[in-house]
Amino acid sequence: MAPPKSAQILVALFTPPASREEVLGDLHERCTSAMQYYRDAIRTVPLVILSRIRRTADPQLMLMHALVLYLSYSTVTWFVDRPMLHESWSQWRLAVPCTVTLLGMILEDAYARPGRRSALRLARGPLLGVAWALLLKSALGAGHSGLALPLGIALYGGALGLLLTSALRLLFSPPSTSPQGRI
Amino acid sequence: MAKPDSLGQFEQLVLAAILARREDAYGVSIHSKVRELAAPKAVSLGAVYVTLDRLEDKGMVSSRLSDPTPERGGRAKRCYRLEALGERALAESAVTAKRVWDGIVEIWGKEWGKRPGTEPS
Repeated sequence: MAPPKSAQILVALFTPPASREEVLGDLHERCTSAMQYYRDAIRTVPLVILSRIRRTADPQLMLMHALVLYLSYSTVTWFVDRPMLHESWSQWRLAVPCTVTLLGMILEDAYARPGRRSALRLARGPLLGVAWALLLKSALGAGHSGLALPLGIALYGGALGLLLTSALRLLFSPPSTSPQGRI
Repeated sequence: MAKPDSLGQFEQLVLAAILARREDAYGVSIHSKVRELAAPKAVSLGAVYVTLDRLEDKGMVSSRLSDPTPERGGRAKRCYRLEALGERALAESAVTAKRVWDGIVEIWGKEWGKRPGTEPS
């Protein structure tokens, strides 16, 4: 039985491109009903994503990126709003954009199409991460959350973080440069 | 010659399934063989993918995409092949398992080894 088109589109959307072809084919081959297809997909796709992240994210490199991002936001805060560094929640406020940027980079690497990576493609991860961090800052700001950073710190910190993490990625390329991972 | 890493139980099952399926080792066929070997334990397709990725990273298996087929909605299969390192690791695991088996039979007796479901394959 052919699975529903909408289900196939959803699976294709969430499955990283490096594994998309075989996962869609295997799920199609196993399909006996629409419900079974959805059940199979829900049990399979998250594990495929996690496995891809494991292959494309280097923990040491991620730690370096986290430090660089934290230093970027801290340095900008030091120059723009030094008293903020002594507030009780300041470290958490700085950690939020760092975490979101890192998450964006990890997902960008996992969902990158296999093949050669240009400098532009390597910078796409940090760019996506910083864009997410700015979006989250806007959302937190709109909700009057105490975790939102001032706009100046978010912008300049993001720009500095983008510059430094891109440079770091050019120097130490993420592990997966082949379709299957580290080969 | 590189010394192979020791294998986890699920890795042994996946390598044994690839060995059994020979040229037809791809996601669905490996999963069905692993289910057969792991019975009565349930095994998910996702767990098989994760293990195949890990084994590929360790250099124990290699993979290639086959031609697309209509019964798979025009999608290709990713076919897996056991590499020399994987064969060696599986052989070492089998030897260890045999020693464990012999040790148990020595204590619990030959009759235990003849019970249904306890025969070594």
